[in-house]
Amino acid sequence: MPRTGATHLKFFRPPTDKPSVDELTREFLLESQEGLDRMERGLTELELRPADAELLAEIFRSVHTIKGTTGFLGFPRLESLSHAGESLLVLLRDGRIRADSDIVSELLALLDRLRGILRSIESSGGEGEAGLEDRVMIGRLEALQRTAPVAGAEAQSAVEPATVAGTGSAARKGSPARKARKPRRGEPPVRVAPPGSQPGPAEAGPQGIEQAAQPAREEPKAASGGTDAASIPRPEGAQPANGAPAVAGEPAAADSTLRVDVELLNRIMNLVGELVLTRNQVLQATSADAGFAPLGRRLDMVTADLREAVMKARMQPVSHVFSRFPRLVRDLAHSLGKPVHLEMEGQETELDKSLLEAIRDPLTHAIRNAVDHGIESPGDRAAAGKPDEGLVRLSARHESSHVLVEVRDDGAGMNIGRIRAKAVDRGLVSAARAAQMSEREILQLVFLPGFSTAEAVTSVSGRGVGMDVVRTNIERIGGKVEIDSQAGRGTTLRLRIPLTLAIIPALIVRSRGQNFAIPQSALIELVHLGAEEAASRIEWLENAALYRLRGRLLPLLFLDRLLRQPAREAAECDIAILNADGRRFGLVVDSLADPQEIVVKPLAAVLRETGVYAGATILGSGEMALILHPGAIALSAGIGLTEEAPEECDQAAAAGRDDFLLVESGNRRTALPLETVLRIERIPRSRIEHAGSRAVLRFEKELLPLEGEIEDYDNPEAPTNVVVCREGGRQVGLVVSRVLDVAPGSALQEAGTGTLSTGVALLRDRVTEIVRPASGPEPELPEDFAGELAEARI
Amino acid sequence: MSTAARPVQAADQEVCSLRVGDTQYAVPIARVLEILGKPQLQPVPLAPDFVGGLVHYRGEVLTAISLRRLLGMDRAPSAQDVLVFESAQGPFGLLVDSVGEVLSVSAAAHEPNPSTLDSCCQGILMGAWKLPNRLLIALDPERLDPMRLVCACAEPQNGTHEPAGDSGSR
Repeated sequence: MPRTGATHLKFFRPPTDKPSVDELTREFLLESQEGLDRMERGLTELELRPADAELLAEIFRSVHTIKGTTGFLGFPRLESLSHAGESLLVLLRDGRIRADSDIVSELLALLDRLRGILRSIESSGGEGEAGLEDRVMIGRLEALQRTAPVAGAEAQSAVEPATVAGTGSAARKGSPARKARKPRRGEPPVRVAPPGSQPGPAEAGPQGIEQAAQPAREEPKAASGGTDAASIPRPEGAQPANGAPAVAGEPAAADSTLRVDVELLNRIMNLVGELVLTRNQVLQATSADAGFAPLGRRLDMVTADLREAVMKARMQPVSHVFSRFPRLVRDLAHSLGKPVHLEMEGQETELDKSLLEAIRDPLTHAIRNAVDHGIESPGDRAAAGKPDEGLVRLSARHESSHVLVEVRDDGAGMNIGRIRAKAVDRGLVSAARAAQMSEREILQLVFLPGFSTAEAVTSVSGRGVGMDVVRTNIERIGGKVEIDSQAGRGTTLRLRIPLTLAIIPALIVRSRGQNFAIPQSALIELVHLGAEEAASRIEWLENAALYRLRGRLLPLLFLDRLLRQPAREAAECDIAILNADGRRFGLVVDSLADPQEIVVKPLAAVLRETGVYAGATILGSGEMALILHPGAIALSAGIGLTEEAPEECDQAAAAGRDDFLLVESGNRRTALPLETVLRIERIPRSRIEHAGSRAVLRFEKELLPLEGEIEDYDNPEAPTNVVVCREGGRQVGLVVSRVLDVAPGSALQEAGTGTLSTGVALLRDRVTEIVRPASGPEPELPEDFAGELAEARI
Repeated sequence: MSTAARPVQAADQEVCSLRVGDTQYAVPIARVLEILGKPQLQPVPLAPDFVGGLVHYRGEVLTAISLRRLLGMDRAPSAQDVLVFESAQGPFGLLVDSVGEVLSVSAAAHEPNPSTLDSCCQGILMGAWKLPNRLLIALDPERLDPMRLVCACAEPQNGTHEPAGDSGSR
């Protein structure tokens, strides 16, 4: 079997040399792994709510399911281990013992052991030797059962289902342990218990006090919980009764979902990509034929929908990655002896599956860092007047076309002085340079390879691999990493992740007849230089080329030289001004083509090693383009951080200087405010349709009203430039004859009346009209469009 | 090096013949995923010398190895065919002047590489079959995997380094 059941949505790594595991076993492995994931989540929560019946039932179910199926499939090691765990969980579930830190730790250890065995079954087909450790673990699990305050000896084995249900509900109503020990506000979910802490009875002390302190609030909740529990038939009661393995207890949601091989999804995605290309070709080939036009448009829409649907199928909530962190933080907190509370937010935020995989490791690293380096020891915290317990906040949320994942701690913050000293010490920067660097620049140094400030190498972190790996991994998927730190207040690490790995907006540029794509995220602005300007406006400081951009010198790199392409005569060129993580530079290219949404294809490792490309893409024409990696280019060319860059821009805007898109419409040279321009489309004339007297364009499932004069009306092939502008939630298309350039300018004065131009600006030292779509009688264009634009000008 | 290895153990074997310059080569047909006839090739500046370019293959971007460059010949004057092979890192392409017919060759007619063959060729060739009037040289697709080539055929490749200063750099 060559490639069956490759990478599943969960857990299973791509098979390397996998011996054949039969379907039944594979199914079992998947089920069990999911069960264990749930169990892990449950266990970490259990420390927070040690008497939560539902939680205990869930955990019990996971273990019980494994036990049931293993007996059936014949995995004795799994069976005996899960049996021991199950026995302990029965006691917990029935409220005969309470889950304390020891029990949770032991159950977590059991979970890891079970996972290990599952992995071994997956890779070798067998569960491996049942060694001494198994017996020791079983012994410990049994010992924990005996420490129970009210344990009956017969509770060892699975109790009769009927009895379970009976005692269960009785316990829910009666036993004081059941009067849920609701956590106080701010009570640590992750408690660091001293090793070998006293179980059961001793714990009753603090618990008693707590209950006494808040009886009024606790009571009703517990009571209502009790009645719920009694009246609703519980699945865990039913499950042991029918004795069916595994699947029986699955929630109903399982019926409407199915597991899909990621491999398969990737393949579908690729095929859709192919389809898009074929569609483009079909549209080109048939655009002349009037009969084909509606068919072509239909094909267009269906393809777009299909692509969207497939993308959606690849989305998963970030909780898939987040769910492992409570455990991670708990274990770290234990081993470091710091109480740490992990707060998570926005778990339902969805992200492409492959991106989710890609952020798993960087995020783990960031959280380790926060707990290990960020949060101070309890003593230091007390001295600083902070609560004992450290706080790590992990949040995810959408932000325009990105997902923002934040790891924030309330620790000591990063020590700028120490980072500076360490960087000099490690030879990462010269002492002189370090002294000049601003705080922001110093903070960036932690992203350099080989940087680590941990004084002591702990088992957790501090081996010199660190933030640079986080950064590389995030940048590889087109994301960005930012770090923010305030002394004494804590550190925030922000990961900005693109929504999907697959598609990014990019500008296609050309160099010696070859296409290259520059990710829009790095692009600030474009400057066009005519042939004589190219000779005069590019200035040289020895061998370093510079361009004077609004009075400041900007280092220039030449794409052709960078790529060692054959030299050419000085001719007109364009400068793409890029900002790669605070490094600003101009990339000189031969010419600009269209901005496009491109599908990123990975490059072979051999080509990634060139350090210039981030991937490749296939353009609508079927041609390929290499995607440039601005960050890597800037670094390899030694471009430094530009400190005041953002402020400078803000000032420029505040001073009434804005960027405009220069277009030629008819024979007039006019300008559009750049912030309203979404993109520029080049379409064949035939795609323009008419709704009544109005020209419209069907565009991404919306009707785009068109403004401006359509030239060369009778030729269906003639390309038409449409500048798509944004107006609130709406889009408007402006038909122009030529797109010239992007230029900064300042509005001179308000002039003109209602029709096409309302403003005049000085652009490229020429007075240029500022165009806005006329607000005609058509309902598609609301009046306030004009108003808003005018406002933006003033 | 196990020169007379795996592909020649069966008595008879189907191989796909291909031509580069005036020489006939062959690869086991079972290893060939697909043959692309004269596809559009996108050059990759700064890539190692043996990389012929990128080819669009079923929605993926395929790295194509130039057999000509590997054998130290000039780049092809005209469009070339591409053989697609599978490697551990995914598929890759091999650029050849033209793909010929499928031949059946016998193990008895196979002989290993001569010891006088230079080391770079030793790495990618696996002996030859003696045909009545010529030699059919055996290629091992496994060893053409781009990642292995980087390590194996290791004359220092220029191009993996940052370009000589054009600006900004010290």
